[in-house]
Amino acid sequence: MWRTASILIGAVLMLLTLGIVMLASTSEALAQARYNNPNYFVIRQGIWLVVALVGALVAAKVDYHHYRWAAIPLQLFFLALLVLVVVPGVGVMVNGSRRWLRAGGLTFQPSEFTKPATVLWLAWWFDRYRRRASTLAYGLILPGIPPALMMGLVFIEPDFGATLLLAIIVGCVLFIGGARFGHLIIAAALGLSAFAFAVLHDPVRMMRVLSFLDVEKYAQKEGFHLMQGLTSFVAGGAWGAGLGNGLQKRFYLPEAHTDFIFAIIGEELGLVGTLGVLALFGTVFVCGLRIAFGAPDFFGRVIAYGLTMAITVQALINIGVVTGCLPTKGLALPFISYGGSNLLVNGLMVGILVNIARHGANDVEDEDLRDVKDRLRTL
Amino acid sequence: MSLIRQRLRFWITTIVMGVAFAVLMVRLASLHLGTNESLRQRVTRARTVRQTMRVGRGRILDRHGRILAMDLILHDVCADPAALLREGHHEFIGARLALMLQLEPAMVVGRLSQAGRRYVRLRRAVPDEELRAVEAMKFPHVWFEPASVRSYPYGGTACHVVGFSNVEGVGGAGIEQQFDRYLRGREGLRISEQDGLGRELYGRRLLEIAAQEGADVHLTLDLDLQEMVEAALDEALPGSGAVGGWVIVQRVRTGEILAMASRPYYDLNAYGRAPEDRRLNRAIGYVYEPGSTFKVAVIAAALDAGVVRPDQVFDCENGLWHYRGKSLRDYHPHGRLTVADILKKSSNIGAAKIALELGEVRVEEALRRFGFGRRTGVEIPGEEAGILHPRSRWTSISLTRIAMGHEVGVTSLQMLNALCAIANDGFLLRPTIVSRVTDPRGRVFRETAPEVLDRPLSAAGARRICALLERVTEPGGTGTKAAVPGFRVAGKTGTAQKPIPGGYSDDRNIASFVGVLPADRPEIGIIVVLDEPQPLRTGGAAAAPIFSTIAQRAVRHLGISPDGPPRVIDPTIEYSPPAFPESNRDSGQSL
Repeated sequence: MWRTASILIGAVLMLLTLGIVMLASTSEALAQARYNNPNYFVIRQGIWLVVALVGALVAAKVDYHHYRWAAIPLQLFFLALLVLVVVPGVGVMVNGSRRWLRAGGLTFQPSEFTKPATVLWLAWWFDRYRRRASTLAYGLILPGIPPALMMGLVFIEPDFGATLLLAIIVGCVLFIGGARFGHLIIAAALGLSAFAFAVLHDPVRMMRVLSFLDVEKYAQKEGFHLMQGLTSFVAGGAWGAGLGNGLQKRFYLPEAHTDFIFAIIGEELGLVGTLGVLALFGTVFVCGLRIAFGAPDFFGRVIAYGLTMAITVQALINIGVVTGCLPTKGLALPFISYGGSNLLVNGLMVGILVNIARHGANDVEDEDLRDVKDRLRTL
Repeated sequence: MSLIRQRLRFWITTIVMGVAFAVLMVRLASLHLGTNESLRQRVTRARTVRQTMRVGRGRILDRHGRILAMDLILHDVCADPAALLREGHHEFIGARLALMLQLEPAMVVGRLSQAGRRYVRLRRAVPDEELRAVEAMKFPHVWFEPASVRSYPYGGTACHVVGFSNVEGVGGAGIEQQFDRYLRGREGLRISEQDGLGRELYGRRLLEIAAQEGADVHLTLDLDLQEMVEAALDEALPGSGAVGGWVIVQRVRTGEILAMASRPYYDLNAYGRAPEDRRLNRAIGYVYEPGSTFKVAVIAAALDAGVVRPDQVFDCENGLWHYRGKSLRDYHPHGRLTVADILKKSSNIGAAKIALELGEVRVEEALRRFGFGRRTGVEIPGEEAGILHPRSRWTSISLTRIAMGHEVGVTSLQMLNALCAIANDGFLLRPTIVSRVTDPRGRVFRETAPEVLDRPLSAAGARRICALLERVTEPGGTGTKAAVPGFRVAGKTGTAQKPIPGGYSDDRNIASFVGVLPADRPEIGIIVVLDEPQPLRTGGAAAAPIFSTIAQRAVRHLGISPDGPPRVIDPTIEYSPPAFPESNRDSGQSL
């Protein structure tokens, strides 16, 4: 397991390095124009990077079995924070969404932390009620109540991207935790119709979907963001314009340093760069699943699986949005986009993964035997 | 849940995610390497900016560097009607602006009331004083855009030579048109990338072609002389009753044109209001039957060919000669005249007989070698070639008519140039009005050197005819009024009836005088032509006095010394310096 963990750490460090370099390249013009300091974003991201690394180290040291007792309190804690976020006057409003909390000089986004908290909650639940997981109540409804509340709160922030991501993570963990396939499909269908209903009743989201369906038509207004993103890839070509030579970041592509930083990678580093990033996330995914596979117990396996999915699904959705495969969502690219909460949460998740890997043995036979033993015990 | 089933679900997850990864990879590859050429071009176009750098038009200068045409930077007054309307100031500001800019108030207010427009140009090229007054008012949403305007400081002086350029900066006449290529310069081009806010990124220039300033055209014209000539013309024209008149002054030895004036004329700063008729440069663009001045060429050819001698006598038939069934008349009847006197008294019959002696072939060849029937190639547009029909189209009496300057059409420049060839030892030069074209840094693009077009006469023949032409301005000749005190003038009068439908007019003439001076070493040639002078209709009476006036002023201005035998300083005469009062000087020093 140590080798898998090393590869994972290596891939994540490469992503972090690329991220800070690309952020420096991307945000320079904007930071100069907005704050008269070309390094404004890089300095902040650098501080967060240190915090995230420390957090990851700590998480890698702490035995993940200790988290069992924290599952319920954490879930309640973040639920409370999310309630605070949507309370007017407490949550910080940016661009019409209340997503942030301010503590001291720092703002952070509780919805980011709901991801590991929810994974932890579900892992705890399924570890405890493994044998009843195939029932509707224990496999879907009861474990699903707190995450559903969270999703509801995130939804009214509003932050559709985070809602959807959380739903997908919950779905994945339920799936691996042992919920019935049929139940999951019904739940997914219900969730999607609710989501579709919400989209149809929100002109802004509706426009986003429409512009996604016909980029050219809406290229000047609603589709502008996406159009400029696509333009970056086209401008990049196979080998890219060269690091720092991109033009899209110079006020063509809005929010180039956050959600659309992948487009700038595409422009400056070309196909080589984007495929490289995709491969690194693929590596994270494979390593994560291997760690999950080799986890010593069910609890660890579900956690590892859930965290891996949380990272990779977010990355895939972000890349899908930037390349025009999915409608525009406000989701950051893990490890690379500017944003402290995102960086810290992803660092913590990788740390936990490494910790699980440390406990894991390649002793799969043992696991199988234990399973058999478990069955015998039930009999 | 069994481990087996969980493992299955792991695999399902892996496959689904693997598909997602693969889809994104394909998508990325198709975006990066895509064959979407139109998008690629649009991206390039949207991100690059092309700027043309406009340059000022070159100047036109006279031979001493005085500016005849130049660019001035003035300002257009512009306004934003939409903003003015929104703030409700359009009526007040419109009225004030109309007052200050001398515009129609209703029109200005009307133009400022267009809610849908963000830009109107109220008046082009506002003079600086008016502009300062408007500027001082600090009207909102009114601004000034620099605009270059062609300015002609001397107005109508030499207007037909200088010409004008239009609002777009394209030459429309004269030197402005002919040398447009040089004057206009070359626009610079800069292609660079711009950022999303449309700002040029200075560090990322893709292409930069420096602009080339318009070149200056230096004319051979002497502005002082030009003004003298025009003044003389303007003084004389009203009294002469002529509808038009034109003068060319040319340097005999180089072919440089020192002055060229044509009346009627127009003000270059208001060329748009000038009718076509006034814009015609009659000195090169008006073809007329030259009359007697043309005899010079025929007689010179006959003398040079040795067909006749100056003292050979011809019978001038007492003013009426029937030849081949047509009658030929002299203005003043003469009996028997020598060739020299035929020229002096300008006998048509005598000239016809001399031409017959020379024969059609040699007459045509001589005339063509004098440059008749083709353009001289002077650097001004609008030059006419004149008319000299090929011999095959001549009738049996054509020769006698051509000899007296009928049945041919010439421009004044051709006529003057032919006479200058006679004065220049027989070398026919190309008349030239542009001496050189230089750029603002002094590089010379083009320089004109004297160019010999042909040599119609030998040096001896040329001097002989020149000597005969001197007698025209001596007592008894037709051109006595062209005499210049202190100078001997070689010249010839010309009077031709203007053709009208069905024949020639009796009372409408082209009167001209062409001459060179000083006669024994000619320096300048001058032609004066009057169109329909009344009541004095002959060249000797109408054109010769103007010639005399112009010549007198020209020789003084150009510093041409009078003729006459050079005075030899006799070394035997003791030179005594003026006596200075020695004592004074000494005392001055001692002080």
